[in-house]
Amino acid sequence: MLFNSIQFAIFFIVVTCLYFILHHKYRWFLLLASSCYFYMAFVPIYILILGFTIIIDYYAGIYIEKSEGKRRKLFLIASLLANIGVLAAFKYYNFLNENLSIFLNGLNYKNPIPYISILLPIGLSFHTFQAMSYTIEVYRGNQKAERHFGIYALYVMFYPQLVAGPIERPQNLIHQFHERQYFNYFRVVEGLKLILWGIFKKLVIADRLAIYVNAVYNNHSHHNGPTLLLASIFFAIQIYCDFSAYSEIAIGSARVMGFELMTNFKRPYLSSSIAEFWKRWHISLSTWFKDYLYISLGGNRVSIPRWYLNLFLVFIISGLWHGANWTFIIWGALNGFYLVFAIVTLNLRNKLSQLIGFNRIPKINHIFQLLMTFTLTSFAFIFFRANNVSDAYSIISKIAKCSGTIYYDNPSTMIYSFFGILLLFFVEGKQEFYGSSISFLHNKHWIVRNLTYVMLIVTIFLIGVFDGGQFIYFQF
Amino acid sequence: MFKSTINTIEKNEYKYFFFKVFIFLVMIFLIDFAVGKVLSTFYFKQKSGTPYRTSFSINETKADLIVVGSSRANHHYHPDVFEKELALSFYNIGRDGQPIFYQYAVLVSILIRYQPKIIVLDFIEEEFVFDESDYERLSSLLPYYKSHPEISSIVELKSSFEKIKFISNIYPYNSLLFTIAIGNTNLNAGRRNNNDIKGYVPLKNKWNEPIKTYNNNQKLKIDPNKIKVFELFIQDCLKEKVKLYVVCSPYYRNFISTPSSIKLGKSISQKYNIDFYDFSQKSIFKNNSSLFSDPSHLNDDGARIFSDSIARIIGKN
Repeated sequence: MLFNSIQFAIFFIVVTCLYFILHHKYRWFLLLASSCYFYMAFVPIYILILGFTIIIDYYAGIYIEKSEGKRRKLFLIASLLANIGVLAAFKYYNFLNENLSIFLNGLNYKNPIPYISILLPIGLSFHTFQAMSYTIEVYRGNQKAERHFGIYALYVMFYPQLVAGPIERPQNLIHQFHERQYFNYFRVVEGLKLILWGIFKKLVIADRLAIYVNAVYNNHSHHNGPTLLLASIFFAIQIYCDFSAYSEIAIGSARVMGFELMTNFKRPYLSSSIAEFWKRWHISLSTWFKDYLYISLGGNRVSIPRWYLNLFLVFIISGLWHGANWTFIIWGALNGFYLVFAIVTLNLRNKLSQLIGFNRIPKINHIFQLLMTFTLTSFAFIFFRANNVSDAYSIISKIAKCSGTIYYDNPSTMIYSFFGILLLFFVEGKQEFYGSSISFLHNKHWIVRNLTYVMLIVTIFLIGVFDGGQFIYFQF
Repeated sequence: MFKSTINTIEKNEYKYFFFKVFIFLVMIFLIDFAVGKVLSTFYFKQKSGTPYRTSFSINETKADLIVVGSSRANHHYHPDVFEKELALSFYNIGRDGQPIFYQYAVLVSILIRYQPKIIVLDFIEEEFVFDESDYERLSSLLPYYKSHPEISSIVELKSSFEKIKFISNIYPYNSLLFTIAIGNTNLNAGRRNNNDIKGYVPLKNKWNEPIKTYNNNQKLKIDPNKIKVFELFIQDCLKEKVKLYVVCSPYYRNFISTPSSIKLGKSISQKYNIDFYDFSQKSIFKNNSSLFSDPSHLNDDGARIFSDSIARIIGKN
């Protein structure tokens, strides 16, 4: 069931109405049952995988809390192994096997291990990471083990963020399921506004850009450098709008019922450095890696080479989290490299900036930094979008040559695409540089607010793409 | 006491919320209605271009001979040749990228108005192959959904929630804003698809590349909906006593074997005693690249020669 479908609209209205009608005592059951239904709308049988990890982690949490010393650690390791095992089996088995085959072929041996033909369970990486954060937090003593099985299952399965995040932490979410949520007009309206803006970003911007991006990337051998460059820029904006739209619909849907989920995006393309970009992009995953992997590796409280290695390693694993493909690993490695390079060359860049005189014109300097950050992230996203590494290299080499005229099949696709991009940057620029002082969606005059809602809805009907399909991050 | 105060506050919040939602829905309904009306007026005011040709096909044409199909139908059947050879009025309703669903929808809306004497259905080599985008292409029929109930079952193949989407008056014109704006100005005068001769759009360029072999031995997924609609197309023509010819026009590529769709199309046509003419691999065309605009489309010269062959066959019958 996709957030951008009529099925979801009906589902959301029914579940929300029932939620407020029901007594607080039974609400957890309604949310759990509806989350099961939501998940089973994709591939029903995969609910068993979720069930398996939920049971393991539920008991692991209780035993970790009850135990002491080595036994405590043992239960944590058992829980982590179960989660990582499921992830490895469903997501990485064929990838590892394929690479083993390549390696053995090089040694003139045949790989005897068979491939398995399975469909990746939807949102597997998201709910596995959310489940792992629970046992880790219980182990660290930051979270009490949840005794109510239904509430724990709901923590992993809460439908708004079940298949594509935000990846929640138990300290933020579990207590909210125990509290009675009251109907609050302003909170409901705020939630609906977020849903509306999310749907707008998905249908009007992301899915419109996807038409051009897919046409070009799926036939990249027939396209020239300028076309591939434009498609790559479009993809960088498409993936942002697609994923942030999902997060906003998720956060909005939860907020309507009174739950606060963590913010996942903060206008990442207005970042002036790669480090800042990663503080604004997919925040729930970045902080997960920071809290549970980077700090566990020693963070920056180690020798300088080890610090660089830690950063690099975290980004490579983050790439692998996205998908079992070398393209994602290279994407992660590139981002890790950007970050390490930025740290290493910080003094040099500052001196260069002083020498050129950039530091005396801060606005120009800032714009330059924004453009550089956008260029670097867009470049890395070529690997993210390409079907394989050789396709990515071919695309990059064509972009480097940059000759020919830009292809477009239908002028309306271009016009609607640029309209969407301009609107996005206008809204985000306004939020970034002027805050809420000239907000349309939160304007103090009801007529401005309501006209904005109406305009957004009319634009969705006028130029939204209604057959756009699923969200990109569902595949992870 | 505290609980009852909370309940009263919550009840008031519900009332306020539903009142606001009601006001908002009324506002949306009115604006949607007004914008939809404006779009509808300007959509049907167009006097050239692809949407105009669809409107003309559905609402106006009274031609004796109708050619139905995709872009290959649109660029392969020349009206002058047919009119001269057969002394019948002619209209080409072929539309770029449109599969059998669109063609059948136009046919039923024509048959409600009148019975043409002859219909030529251009058949493509992947006619029955499943392609999800073929269902998305049904959006070209959305502006006619409300005024032509006979096509509703076809349009509803697009998605199971199509009926709900039509609550909006703007939805039928989704993504057509630019097309409507251009279609109502002279800006589209020079566009290729705008200059038609009774629906036929000539292609002028000549193909210079050597012929390629197309591996059509791969197992492609067949769409049962397309087969069903093809049969309905034949049945409706038979019921209305319209002479139907199914023709696969020439390709500039070698097929390793007869494509499965063509085999299926022939056997279904045979079942209903309908003539199926396969020109896909005719050497007179395949040996002459200058008759083509690209491997799938004849140019104007090729279209004249091909139209002459078909007109002669029809004339003989």
